[in-house]
Amino acid sequence: MKKRAAILSIVIAFGFFAVAFRLVDIMLLSHERFSAKAKNQQTVEETIPAKRGIIFDRKGRELAINVKTESVFIDPRMVTSSERVAFALSDALGIKSDRILSSMDTNRRFVWVERKLPLEQTRSIRELNISGIGIVSESKRFYPKGPLASHIIGFVNIDKKGLEGIERRYDKYLTAMGENANVFRDARGNILSEGFMREIRGNNLFLTIDEGLQYILEKNLDEAIVHWQAASATAIMMNPHTGEILAMANRPTFNPNDPQASKASDRRNRAITDGYEPGSTFKIIAGVAALEEGIVKPDTKFDCTAGFIEVSGKKIRDARRHTHKVLTFTEAIQKSSNVGIVKIAQSLGIDKMYEYINRFGFGQRTGIDLVGEIAGMVRPPERWSGVSIGFISIGYEILVTPLQILRAYSAIANGGFLVRPHVVSEIHSPNGEILYRAAPEAQRIISENTARVFREVLKTVTEEEGTALKAAVDGNQVAGKTGTAQLVDPETNRHSNERHVSSFVGFVPVEEPKIAMIVVIHEPKGESYGGRVAGPVFRKIASESLSYMNVPREDYRERGLLLVRD
Amino acid sequence: MLKINKRLFKNFDWITFSLIITLSIIGIITIYSATKPPLDGGHPDFYTKQMLWLLISVAALFIVAAIDYIWIYRFSYPIYIAGLLMLAAVLIAGKTAMGAERWLSIGPISFQPVEFFKVFFIIAFSAYLANNHLAGKIPVKSLFIFALLPFILLIKQPHLGGAMLVVSLFVILSILKGINRKIITTVLAISIISIPFVSHIFWEGLKDYQKNRLVAFMDPSIDPSGIGYHINQSKITIGSGGVFGKGYLQGTQGPLRFLPEKHTDFIFSVFAEEWGFIGSLLLMGIYLMLFLRGLDTAARAKDEFGRLVATGITAMFFIYFCINIGMTLGIMPVVGMPLPFMSYGGTALLANFIAAGILINIRTRRFELFYP
Repeated sequence: MKKRAAILSIVIAFGFFAVAFRLVDIMLLSHERFSAKAKNQQTVEETIPAKRGIIFDRKGRELAINVKTESVFIDPRMVTSSERVAFALSDALGIKSDRILSSMDTNRRFVWVERKLPLEQTRSIRELNISGIGIVSESKRFYPKGPLASHIIGFVNIDKKGLEGIERRYDKYLTAMGENANVFRDARGNILSEGFMREIRGNNLFLTIDEGLQYILEKNLDEAIVHWQAASATAIMMNPHTGEILAMANRPTFNPNDPQASKASDRRNRAITDGYEPGSTFKIIAGVAALEEGIVKPDTKFDCTAGFIEVSGKKIRDARRHTHKVLTFTEAIQKSSNVGIVKIAQSLGIDKMYEYINRFGFGQRTGIDLVGEIAGMVRPPERWSGVSIGFISIGYEILVTPLQILRAYSAIANGGFLVRPHVVSEIHSPNGEILYRAAPEAQRIISENTARVFREVLKTVTEEEGTALKAAVDGNQVAGKTGTAQLVDPETNRHSNERHVSSFVGFVPVEEPKIAMIVVIHEPKGESYGGRVAGPVFRKIASESLSYMNVPREDYRERGLLLVRD
Repeated sequence: MLKINKRLFKNFDWITFSLIITLSIIGIITIYSATKPPLDGGHPDFYTKQMLWLLISVAALFIVAAIDYIWIYRFSYPIYIAGLLMLAAVLIAGKTAMGAERWLSIGPISFQPVEFFKVFFIIAFSAYLANNHLAGKIPVKSLFIFALLPFILLIKQPHLGGAMLVVSLFVILSILKGINRKIITTVLAISIISIPFVSHIFWEGLKDYQKNRLVAFMDPSIDPSGIGYHINQSKITIGSGGVFGKGYLQGTQGPLRFLPEKHTDFIFSVFAEEWGFIGSLLLMGIYLMLFLRGLDTAARAKDEFGRLVATGITAMFFIYFCINIGMTLGIMPVVGMPLPFMSYGGTALLANFIAAGILINIRTRRFELFYP
């Protein structure tokens, strides 16, 4: 009897030794390993949400913001029932369950299911509380104005990396580098770190763009492209003194909130990425050069009665009969006489012509702070043929961007300076500290007097006898120039008589220019003259913009109007 | 029947009583920590329920301890029949929880009859053995009544742990009585000694799906795919405790819901995480004292019935303890055995206190003359 009790005691003692040995093993010898395992499964390295900087227009109106969204992921190691996870997610998100099942077949700890969903959609998943499904909040870029100014602002990819426009050019300023922090999470993947979340924000950008002007410009561009059934169109509005872009738009366009839905060609900012032969708008180069060089005066006469001029055996004709007479310098520009301009260019000579083309910045990038700008194409004089001086002076044999033309006209508007166009005026740190402020860069290219005289010449274009009466704005005088260029037919490689680029470029008011603007319309149907196609678009945009900007009528005194300033 | 006098009070086994009260309070403290929500929020009321059950259990213990155990002996067979009927009732009218029918409801009270049955079994089988001079052999009829019948009833629930426990107790009490002593003693000693090792080696040698199949075969009430996860998380919990532990309420595995059954079967893991190796050794010391006290009570019992019952109850506590701790340490299969006095669960606590009450009863009356 005693023996049996002793055996029981030994059994108990042995049981205790076995447990004690095991405790030593697990709690003392393997402590480090198990602690690491515990830490590994209980904490998850989470990126502190970084909010991309906001893009504002010049008056602080939001053009690009961030909205709160949530993203769903799977931690395959925490999944207890693959079928349940797949079923729940496919039910809630409408994804095929096969896709979810196959995505779980991995050693990774983290598999995205669907990103940047609205909060209503993730709430139902959260309520299911299934082990292995995790939800993190991510901010998503949102463009509250939709397609407005889309070519300027650009867009970002799902990881908030800027792909186009300002978003790309200023990506490093807008991007906030997220930091990583270890946060607790429970077995179901829920993050348990309330009240501790910090937030890192990127720098905010203030553009030179004015949302109101941008809207006016885009609205009229939309109307024009419908009216003329045009292939594409571009308009740019700039402060001619500073180079600040006030508005810039192209058609066709796209919605930056859904860039995938558009064609790549629709996303191109044609104002700076596409070169074209400018035609008559380019005639001012020869004209300004001749004035600056003292070769002509505004009343210098040119005999244009023949209606054509032979250059190296090729005839360059005037388009319309009413220029077949003796024209003054001013009239040659006003009526856009090819013969007159070619004669002016010939008196200027090849070298001076080429020098002024370069002075006005053609063949070089303007340096605008956007991506994808091209330099255009200007051939050096060695490669000019005998007829080139004639064709180049009237805007052929040369490729320019609409922005380059606008900049050249701005030099006349601002008294002779070539400015650097730009769209970002200020960069603010998240605390409001100013990190960068755009300083106007300007370089004198012609004398103030030449500019002033030429403004008077360009003013006549929108007056009686001018080519662009329809560009005249009621109340303020417009100085500008029409352009009607034939497009090269890709089949015959010759200039087509049916396909044109119609443009109007100018500034208003003439004496104190507030805006310089170019309107380019590719392939309008039924009409081709720049004065009739682009001119009215210019007038409508300019007229609405001036009243939006509270620019008074020049004749307010004569009309007995009272000028009220804000 | 009830004789509460001064001498009884003086002889009362305060040591056993304070050991189980200490364990129960440690249990409640640990339940509180294990069910703590990870963030601010409502604390589940498991710990208050367990406190209520502790009060009921203490009252039950005093009642059981006060009744002279001769009455328990006299009513042992009716008690056993009642126990068998309860098990049968579970099969007919039991409530299903986690894939097994284990609960029986009487009005608003739900309880697991198996918790009481194992105590009734010890009483009845001890009475049977004490009553008969068997000369090394057990009649087939008795084998059926005390082994096969309860085993079948429990397996049908299914309650593998309970069935194994009843068979183990049958073997232990038979050995004590001297049945086939040479053979059974050797077999039992070897099997019990080898359980922690053989099962461990066997277990580790199997592939995951084989383990799951084995466990699923042995106890289908446990989700087979969760087995490896349970053991793994329990080891992580205990292992991250280290020498001194993380400190009370500083445990993370339970509140973060990595450890399943944290306040029931795996309460030792939670305790070990917070109190460390030293705390765990102290806790085991308390259990060791309880078991040695139980064996001492058996040795000092004034009659064979008392000796058998005291040994049976001590063995029951020990088996529970070994399987539960072994399970949390990954050296025993997961069969869902609670840790006596500490795991959350009202029926188990009450049954264990009643069993402890019988132990105290036997010790308290060891000097009294016994007239059957």
